[in-house]
Amino acid sequence: MSPDTSRSNTPNSREPIPTTPLPIHGPTISNIVCGAHLNCLFDLHHIALSARNVMYNPKRFPAAVIRHRRPKATGLVFATGKLQVLGCRSVSDAVLACRRFARMLQKLGYQPRLEDFVVQNIVANADTRMLIRLEGLQYAHPAFCRYEPEIFPGLVYSIMEPKMTVLVFAGGKLVLLGAKNEGDLEKAVKVLYPVLTLFRRS
Amino acid sequence: SIGLALADTLDDLIGSRRIEPQLAIRIMQNFDQSIATVLGEKVKARMTFKGHLDTYRFCDEVWTFIIKDIHFKMDGNNQFDAEKIKIVACLAKDKTAA
Repeated sequence: MSPDTSRSNTPNSREPIPTTPLPIHGPTISNIVCGAHLNCLFDLHHIALSARNVMYNPKRFPAAVIRHRRPKATGLVFATGKLQVLGCRSVSDAVLACRRFARMLQKLGYQPRLEDFVVQNIVANADTRMLIRLEGLQYAHPAFCRYEPEIFPGLVYSIMEPKMTVLVFAGGKLVLLGAKNEGDLEKAVKVLYPVLTLFRRS
Repeated sequence: SIGLALADTLDDLIGSRRIEPQLAIRIMQNFDQSIATVLGEKVKARMTFKGHLDTYRFCDEVWTFIIKDIHFKMDGNNQFDAEKIKIVACLAKDKTAA
C-alpha cells in the first residue's frame, strides 16, 4: 500500500478491509475519563467531612476528590452536581463506579439522579512488536505528525477518522488518546498499523 | 500531650480568676510558636512506621489518616505494633493550629 498523500489517512476504499487480526498486542485500555450529571447540588465541605477517602482543597480545585477501591476509581464531585470519574479500565467499570459514587452521596443525605453519562476520553496502550523509523514517518506524513526528539521521544500522530491522537514510539509501542469508545480504538489501530509497517526498521 | 495539659491548666487558672482570658490566649500563642521551633530544631529522636492506609481525609487544610496494622520502629531497637492509629496533621506554618 503506497503512502497516503491525500488529506485523509484512511486506507484506499477499494482495498478489502483486512479480516485477519493484526499482529498487535492490545489495544489495552489503561484509563477512561467520563462525566455524568447527578442533578443535585452538593455541599462539598460537608461531603469532605463525612465521607471517607476525600480530598477537598477549594483554594486549589473546586471539586471534592473521592477515591474508591472497588472498582478502583477517582471521582471529582463538583458543587453543581457534575461528576467526573477517572481511572477505570473498562466502560462497564466506569458505569459501575459512577453508580457507586452516586450511592455513596445518597447515603450522605443527598438525592442524586445519575444522568447524561458520557465517556469523554479513553486512553489505551498497544504494542506493534516492531521497531519504527519515526523520522521516516514524519517525513512522509508531515501534516499528521509532530516529532521533536529533543523534547519528547515519541511521535505525535493525529488521526482524522476517528479523531484521535496516537503517540508512536521507536520501540513500537503506541499510546492511543482521545477515543470515545472501544470501536474507535480498534479503528485507529487498523488505520495506523499499515502506515507503521512501511516504516519498520529492518 | 503538653499542649492539652497547658490548655487545661490555663482554663483552671481562668476559672479561679487568677489570670485574664486574654493572657491565656497570649500564652497559648507563645506556646504554639515555641513548640513549632523546638520540634523543628531541637528534637533529634527518630521514628518510622509502616502500615496499611485505611482512610484519609483532607479538608480545611487538615489531614486525617486512619492507619491499620502498624509496626513502629524507634531509634532502631524499640519496636511495637498497633492495630489502628489516627493521625491528625495540619500545616506547620499555621500559627492558629491547635
